[in-house]
Amino acid sequence: MNDDDLSRLLQQHASRHPADERLRAAVRTQMTLQAAAQEARPKASAWTAWRERLAQMTRIHPALAGAGGLALGVALTLLALLVAPRLSPDGTLPDELVAAHVRALQVGPLYEVASSDRHQVKPWFQGRLDYAPTVLDGPLREQGFALLGGRVQAVRGQPTAVLAYQVRLHKIDLYTWPSEHGAAPEKLQHRGFNLVRWSDGAMQYWAVSDVDGAELERFAAAWRAAAAR
Amino acid sequence: MTDRHRFEASVLPLLDAAHNLARWLLRDAAAAEDAVQEAALRAFRYFASLRPNEDARPWFLGIVRNACFTALARERGRADVTLLDEDAWDHLEAQSPSPAPDPLTALGMRREQRLVDAALRALSPPMREVIVLRELEGLDYRDIAQIAGIPIGTVMSRLSRARAQLKRQLSLAGLP
Repeated sequence: MNDDDLSRLLQQHASRHPADERLRAAVRTQMTLQAAAQEARPKASAWTAWRERLAQMTRIHPALAGAGGLALGVALTLLALLVAPRLSPDGTLPDELVAAHVRALQVGPLYEVASSDRHQVKPWFQGRLDYAPTVLDGPLREQGFALLGGRVQAVRGQPTAVLAYQVRLHKIDLYTWPSEHGAAPEKLQHRGFNLVRWSDGAMQYWAVSDVDGAELERFAAAWRAAAAR
Repeated sequence: MTDRHRFEASVLPLLDAAHNLARWLLRDAAAAEDAVQEAALRAFRYFASLRPNEDARPWFLGIVRNACFTALARERGRADVTLLDEDAWDHLEAQSPSPAPDPLTALGMRREQRLVDAALRALSPPMREVIVLRELEGLDYRDIAQIAGIPIGTVMSRLSRARAQLKRQLSLAGLP
């Protein structure tokens, strides 16, 4: 046997071990968490640096610089409010939901009430919200989506119901709040996460997860089918 | 392009090669996945150390390789073996050899695959490493030297000894 024979044997017959989808997803999730943690820091320092520069520019009392900053901040906020809705119908909502999802995964809690039983999860929201979210368990479990529990988290400044589900090793957060517009499911991607949103005419739903897009759409479809029953 | 995008474009396509290397160096699937994840996280943190025109493959596989050898050393109960020479590895291997594949997987394999895999597993990790990188990943000597952190001369001598051992074992088994 010469070196070429050996190479041929190895290349034809040795086992190969490509990375599977689960490992890829795990690496992507990890990267997103890491990126979110990194982004959180520079923002604060950029803001501080900017204020220092403003204070230097004005060369007057720091309080005035603060007032100037405040005025500019108000102007920028107004501008953002005017412009953002035109750029995207959802504005910064996907960004906020992904950040909320990542925060829940990273520092928790993923759920404040832990139960796979909707008769325990739904009553828990009483008194914490001014609406009663729909909670589904059984029909989704049949499709592989297990209810883990629920929590209340601020979205756009409003306390919002979040239901946490799990499919295989992936967590799915379902954010829900009242909305009178009905809308068919729509899929978005943001910072490596998948989002599917829909509305049933009474409630708005946003599902956020690192699970792949098709799977998340399957979740949305299972939810809609179960809710319509 | 942000670092994040550059990372996704250059490192994510290397996960197959990374996992293959890790799986060949480490005992089981879980250990290999852990090593790849750990390497990816480290690569992401230190992505700035990859120069803009530098090839990401040897850089990333070097990180994966180090994660694997650290895990191997930990597994063998020795924290200080990462930089050990082959003799030390041979000694450690004799104390706790790489285990055989699990029987269910082995059952479904063709005879050639079983024999070739067994011959590869019989190599010490430093020799297995150079053979996998050369024959399965098709890397050149320079890249292998960078990944394993050894001179090119050592890559060549390890390859030739690994080949001799493989030929001996496979011929005995009646291949090709």
